[in-house]
Amino acid sequence: MAGSMKEIKLRIRSVESTMQITKAMELVASSKLRRAKERVEGSRPYFETLYETLFDIVRTDSAFDSPYLAKRETNRRLYIVIAGDRGLAGGYNANILKAIEADAAGSDYCVLPIGKKAVEHFERRKANVLTTAFAEAGDLSVSDCFEISRLVCQKFLAGEFDEIRLGFTQFVSMLTQTATVLPVLPFDAKRPEPGHERESLMLYEPDGKAVFDAIIPEYLAGVVYGALCESVASEQGARRMAMDAATKNAGEMIDHLNLYYNRARQAAITQEITEIVAGADAES
Amino acid sequence: MATFPLKILTPDGVAYDGPAVSVSCRTINGQVQLLAKHIDFCTALGMGEAHIKLEDGTTRRAACMGGMLSMLKGECRLLATTFEWADAIDAERAARSKTRAEEMLAQKNLDKRDMELAEARLKRALVRSSVAARKDI
Repeated sequence: MAGSMKEIKLRIRSVESTMQITKAMELVASSKLRRAKERVEGSRPYFETLYETLFDIVRTDSAFDSPYLAKRETNRRLYIVIAGDRGLAGGYNANILKAIEADAAGSDYCVLPIGKKAVEHFERRKANVLTTAFAEAGDLSVSDCFEISRLVCQKFLAGEFDEIRLGFTQFVSMLTQTATVLPVLPFDAKRPEPGHERESLMLYEPDGKAVFDAIIPEYLAGVVYGALCESVASEQGARRMAMDAATKNAGEMIDHLNLYYNRARQAAITQEITEIVAGADAES
Repeated sequence: MATFPLKILTPDGVAYDGPAVSVSCRTINGQVQLLAKHIDFCTALGMGEAHIKLEDGTTRRAACMGGMLSMLKGECRLLATTFEWADAIDAERAARSKTRAEEMLAQKNLDKRDMELAEARLKRALVRSSVAARKDI
């Protein structure tokens, strides 16, 4: 009996130290989450205004044509996939990678993975990888996003890809994060009927097409940066939840083990008393 | 003088939000200046120096690169990829980045992409150092 008591004690200690780690990870994730959320909110007005402007140009002016607008027959797609650098974040990485697989099923596609987990996944799958220069999702800055955008726009204009889609995890709330696949290029907006030339009195300098073509790379960089911020926030949110659950499970496990331990202790005491009483009986 | 509401937004957040008398910056078509009561207007930005004239007559200068400038119903919005006030520019860092870009460009066997990157870096560094150097205004 004494042996099993010691075993249980050891087990409790090991679960306790695991619990300490998960608790620490949860705290780290919540503080990182706060910072990531601030970043998302700080960048939002910039990109929303950009998008509105682009949308307005396209909506009100039918007189120009841009390669970014032309819908081509989709032969080759490029997926920009944003996943995490580390695991232990619940279903975060698996969800986004699964969403991409489902979306791309059966078509010829190429990926630009962002985040170590995405890079590893697509390398294992032997998918066509455009570049692995952006493996660290946590370290990417605005200027990296502009580099990605420049690269992607160049390939798009050169006709290497007919459609660009972006896979990221949307930060809906602290408790829900959804994996989303979003088409970004060609720019999708309703064109006015030819003949209804200009409705707005906006003056575009030098003209609508030049402004549109100049802003598109900025817009793409913006979308990538925005998606990255959302994904980082989602990753921290998912990790916080997973670690919270792990901490709770560890607590429950310790309660159970304590119960077993007390039972074992009680049994040992009872046995000892029985032995003493039996011994005393034999004496008399 | 008449003022108009001006918002300067960057991906990192809001750089300025308040009234201004005039805003002047480099666009893809050259330097432009907007005053109050301008008609609805929209253009894309180039790389260069921006001047914001405030209500009290002071002029603030900044390095302003990429993005767009729009005036809609009397409200002006300047969306810049990079927007740094002249007093916040790290001149030493700009100088270092300039020498690094020049070293890159001095190499003969650059491929096209590296060349473009180095050129863009050099341009940014030059704008930053020229804005930082002119402390007089």
